[in-house]
Amino acid sequence: MLLASRRILAVVLCAAALLAVLPQSAQAPWSGRLASFLWAPLRPGTAALAWLRDRVRAPEDPYPNLPDELRAALEERDRLRGELDAADLRIGKLEREVGELTGYRPADRAGWRPRLANVVERGGARPGGLLGIDIGVAQGVSEGDPAVVGGSQLLGIVAAGGSEGRSWVVPLDDRRAGRIDAVVHPSGAAGTGKGAAGREPGRGPRPTVLVQLLPQGNRTLVGELEPGADGRAADVRAGDAVLLSDASWRPAAQGMRIGLVESVGALDANPLRRRITVRMESDPARTSRLVVKVRESAVQGGAR
Amino acid sequence: MRWWVCAIALAVVLMADAALMPAFAWRGMSPQLWPTLLAFIALYASRGGAMWAAVVLGLWMDALNPALGIGSMAPRAVPVFGPHALACAAGAWTILELRAWLYRRNALTVAFAAAACGLAASLTFVAVAGLRSSYADPSPLWGGGSGAAALGNDALEVLVSAVVGILPAWALQWTVPAWDFEVAGPRFGGGRGPRQGA
Repeated sequence: MLLASRRILAVVLCAAALLAVLPQSAQAPWSGRLASFLWAPLRPGTAALAWLRDRVRAPEDPYPNLPDELRAALEERDRLRGELDAADLRIGKLEREVGELTGYRPADRAGWRPRLANVVERGGARPGGLLGIDIGVAQGVSEGDPAVVGGSQLLGIVAAGGSEGRSWVVPLDDRRAGRIDAVVHPSGAAGTGKGAAGREPGRGPRPTVLVQLLPQGNRTLVGELEPGADGRAADVRAGDAVLLSDASWRPAAQGMRIGLVESVGALDANPLRRRITVRMESDPARTSRLVVKVRESAVQGGAR
Repeated sequence: MRWWVCAIALAVVLMADAALMPAFAWRGMSPQLWPTLLAFIALYASRGGAMWAAVVLGLWMDALNPALGIGSMAPRAVPVFGPHALACAAGAWTILELRAWLYRRNALTVAFAAAACGLAASLTFVAVAGLRSSYADPSPLWGGGSGAAALGNDALEVLVSAVVGILPAWALQWTVPAWDFEVAGPRFGGGRGPRQGA
């Protein structure tokens, strides 16, 4: 029997060793297709188990330790933004149908358009694995497109190397994703803190603070706070919102929420400086559906 | 060994690791079931059968964990076949060498074997990924940080997986007759008598 042959097993192990040391360029032309073929039989079961997972342990509260009023406002905003995205998706579908029937071409919608995607693949062996989604080049998805959940929570970025109907999303907390420029926005309306009307005695509303974040895995990113021009440490507190402000990301992603400041502490290497830990609002390990903001030109190109 | 049973078990375990096990995460560590299943197979199956199962499992895991290369706007995801296949083969081989000293018909033995299997696999994976990161990958396959830190994280995760895996290991023991292992013995081999594997 073929499988009983030790010689064949030795050959297969040698081939695995050879593949393991080959550079990515040698595997890129065929490995994506083979990976998608291997994963295809597991998709339905994975979706069913993801549903069971959320029944076993409900997703965490996205806004822990916040006043009830603020939490309700944030949740209401996220819900409305989610509905807005859903309405956008519906409008897009109707526009395509109208276009097919009448030749009508809809106007440009600020350069991007939402595309709903299901997470169909997920690395189970290592934390911080990539998410495989069921839309790709054919649906207008291209590298660098932002992936969001809950209307405004940034989940990650679409990696290069996708195929016609499949793409990979690199979660924000993946250490390999590199540094991310962000801005810390004081919690509450108009930069208000805990003080009445956002003002503390002798101080105005807290200013926003620029910070560069480094992904750490497990839904966390850390950043080092630079002292202000006056030499004072930046005023950042737990619970402040962190928004993307990175020129290397697409315009559609700017200003979207990365997470909340979880803690502020001294930097290990330099106790006089401070570091912040940011916890993502979305959980990549438990996301089963997301929205990719694809470029309008790519949608038109992909539809051709 | 019945290969169709093995294929179904591997698929179920991979699906559970990807989708269900995050529900049992503890301090950011999500337990995995694949070390338990691989250790169970390596405890009972013939040497060739166990190694084949390990290679198949590893290739499946390679398909699910793409490496990240350099792209123009975003990192490029490229599934790299080989590292997990070698890692799983090393894990299975470790159990094959240890099993003569183990009392296999016990769920705790399978859990212990799962820990040993996972540690050997992690060591091999980090070694291969470290080698690759010196010339082929812009960032190491284990994600980031030093290889020692990755080994430490993996060791903790393997221990959590072994503890969580006691219950599945106990359940797996009941399925031994269905697997038709060559070296399971008359009690678990369906009454056909012991046969020595290849």
